[in-house]
Amino acid sequence: MFCYQCEQTDRSNADSGCATAKGMCGKDATTSDLQDLLIHGVKGIAQYAKRARALNAPDNAAGEFMLYAMFTTLTNVNFNATRFVTLIQEAAQVRDRVKASYTQAALASGKTPEQLTGPAAWQPAADMDGMLKQAADVGINAGLDQVGADIIGLRSLVLYGLKGVCAYAHHAYVLGGESDTVYAGIEDALDFLSNGPTDAEALLNQSMALGTLNLEVMALLDEANTGTFGAQQPTQVRITPIKGKAILVSGHDLGDLAALLEQTKDTGINIYTHGEMLPAHAYPKLKAYPHLVGNYGGAWQDQQKEFAEFPGAILMTSNCIIEPQAQYRQRIFTAGPVGWPGVRHISDKNFASLIQAANALSGFKEDVSEKVVTVGFGRDAVLGVADKVIDAVKSGAIKHFFLVGGCDGAAPGRNYYTEFAEQAPQDTVVMTLGCAKYRFNQHDFGDIGGIPRLLDLGQCNDSYSAIKIATALASAFECGVNELPLSLVVSWFEQKAAAVLLTLLALGIRNIRLGPTLPAFLTPNLVQVLVDKYGLLPITTAQADIEASLTRKAA
Amino acid sequence: MNTHAIELTTRDGEQLRFECAADQNLLEAAADAHIVLPAQCGQGSCGTCYADVTHGDFTLGKHNPAALPVDDEAKGGTLLCCTFPQSDLRISLPFDHDRILIGEIKVRNAEITAVDSVGENTLRLELRLAPDEDDGSVAEFEPGQFMELEVPGQDIKRAYSLANTGNWEGRLEFLIRLQPGGLFSTWLREQAAVGQTLIVHGPKGAFGLHESGLRPRWFVAGGTGLAPMMSMLRRMAEFQEPHPARLYFGANRAEDLFCQTELEALQAELPQLQVIYCVWKPEDNWQGFSGTPVDALAQDLAGAVVLPDIYLCGPPALIDAAEAAARAKGVPDQQVLSERFLPTV
Repeated sequence: MFCYQCEQTDRSNADSGCATAKGMCGKDATTSDLQDLLIHGVKGIAQYAKRARALNAPDNAAGEFMLYAMFTTLTNVNFNATRFVTLIQEAAQVRDRVKASYTQAALASGKTPEQLTGPAAWQPAADMDGMLKQAADVGINAGLDQVGADIIGLRSLVLYGLKGVCAYAHHAYVLGGESDTVYAGIEDALDFLSNGPTDAEALLNQSMALGTLNLEVMALLDEANTGTFGAQQPTQVRITPIKGKAILVSGHDLGDLAALLEQTKDTGINIYTHGEMLPAHAYPKLKAYPHLVGNYGGAWQDQQKEFAEFPGAILMTSNCIIEPQAQYRQRIFTAGPVGWPGVRHISDKNFASLIQAANALSGFKEDVSEKVVTVGFGRDAVLGVADKVIDAVKSGAIKHFFLVGGCDGAAPGRNYYTEFAEQAPQDTVVMTLGCAKYRFNQHDFGDIGGIPRLLDLGQCNDSYSAIKIATALASAFECGVNELPLSLVVSWFEQKAAAVLLTLLALGIRNIRLGPTLPAFLTPNLVQVLVDKYGLLPITTAQADIEASLTRKAA
Repeated sequence: MNTHAIELTTRDGEQLRFECAADQNLLEAAADAHIVLPAQCGQGSCGTCYADVTHGDFTLGKHNPAALPVDDEAKGGTLLCCTFPQSDLRISLPFDHDRILIGEIKVRNAEITAVDSVGENTLRLELRLAPDEDDGSVAEFEPGQFMELEVPGQDIKRAYSLANTGNWEGRLEFLIRLQPGGLFSTWLREQAAVGQTLIVHGPKGAFGLHESGLRPRWFVAGGTGLAPMMSMLRRMAEFQEPHPARLYFGANRAEDLFCQTELEALQAELPQLQVIYCVWKPEDNWQGFSGTPVDALAQDLAGAVVLPDIYLCGPPALIDAAEAAARAKGVPDQQVLSERFLPTV
């Protein structure tokens, strides 16, 4: 295996990356290699799908398969080798279907169908051992000796950014949000990668095109979330358990949560959110369920301890699973793209077995005294009080905004984000999103003239809210986003964050502080390009970065 | 007393470390460090705690030679329950990290809900776990694992493989061969009755399904070695796993076979499952395979296009013979997984 797509990738050698029998995330070499081959297969689908679309014969069902397949290859999503063997076979079947409709469309319009090569012409081996041999030639590192580390790094930037785009698009899709432009953009990017691109400029342009595409995807997702469940409202969420049977829901899929809430209505089972599900409490149509009682635990990296201690059943949706421990392996269920060998998977939103498990388990034996956090400052809530915010800035009561957000993780260097948020001066406002918030969301930040100093915008999936707030403020102050008293301090872990970063860069937002470490796939040359061209800043220390942010001149 | 640093590496590459004194066995030292490794008898007779020492010196205490084949011993194989370190050790474990319990083995009460004869010397025992303050009424275990059953107030404790799958009603199902003169067997034959309470320790054990893509899975069972196979096949049916599957189920005489109805039900849920009944000493009218399940396995391996994963459970002679047959046909060692049933009297 070779994989360096996430932040915790092995950096113990000169060449960073996980390359032994098992990656830092727990993904074994077999699964990792099969994921590489699946991506190869998906590129083949895109080669034909792009051309079919150009001939007015789009296949959005193939698009949906691509979203799902790409999502399964993100960090901490699917670890089931068998599942990948099946998906690889399916990819070839989907490709053949799209190829047939492309050929037909070409002939119908009097054109000679192109004979495509590369992934478009690949056939999966008959069994897993054969597939693993095929995978050896198609990993992210393929061609390193010929093209060099910079080009491989740029291809990785495109591929990993694209994975994030596909994941967000899949989130929108499961709530009914789809767009031809998005499918077309994804097909373009995959087709581009299938040609083994070697031109650095073209690769960088493709990354930025993906950033732009992702803005559209994030808008689609925002619309799907708020259209289905209403706009987020500021809401106090209990973070201590109450007596009774319990189910814990983690991951990001609000649709799965909604289905479970409906199926557990009046059963006496209490539903708790975990990790990135916390913002669910802010949506009117979800918080209307009285048995959505609270949030339990913290960010994803603490799940092994928290799940082992949770006295009920657990549902892991969409992503961010790590190896289920023996203590709770029989009581955790997966849904959507998530998978772990030997763990029950629910693919049809029928949660009967999960509910049965919760009923059989003891549940919480007593109430723990109430503690709360406040969530729900999505774009509507913040922009609803825009006048107050703008006045506070004009009067000097608010000197600066920080957006401190993104993924959390186990690396000790992530303390930076805790320190940053807690040390931000009293006349500044901290906006946050993603699970990085768990590092400081129980801290008492106080308020500025009634405006809370900590505004929780939602999941990483709600990055669109942050962009809308920033652009609205910029227009109110008649300036560009870069001229606002606003600093972005981004914590990344996996590929969704890579997509959001590309979006911010594509929007021309400068001086983004990125940490806890820079992606291993960015070579020193590539980092220099991002620093020179986009003003990207690696984090230093919280205190120094706060001071620098407050004194910086407009970029 | 000097202690030595012990480093364990699981099949899936996870590492665990603990300290062990020279006069302490590795299994106990690991448990002291809250690392509960798959094991059963704790006295060198069952072979459950087999592992390979890849680096370092140790002494191996008294053990049953049938539990540690000489070929394995020659390449550093040992039984952790009777291994005493003489230096720091690096040890390779033949199972994944997820089979190691961090904490303590559960001990619970269970009520007998059924005890039925399913063959001349074979019982089907069904228990229901008593609801527990922490674990409610769930029966949580992996297919292939076993439990130790203890008769309260009597010094009778035996390990048996589970035949069903984890469930939310607290059901535990076992297939038990009654051993002549065996303590638990005698108790089962003479005293066991519905409504009585047993103490169950577990789940324990590392035997179970191994994920290796869609490679065919062939299960070879002798007698009550069928129990863990039933559990694994039932799990496959429950999850609707697509792997091609075969079960070679052998007995000496046709009338010694059992659970045919259950296996038919399983085939209805898992249509790709082929069941090959093997009888060593058949009557003239026998329609199935004549010979041992190992004979049937060897014959089918000869014609196999893809070498399957092979799961073995039964008496040591059956396992040794099946392993030899698999090796002779070129099946890699890591594709052969086994659980030895050794009688304890």
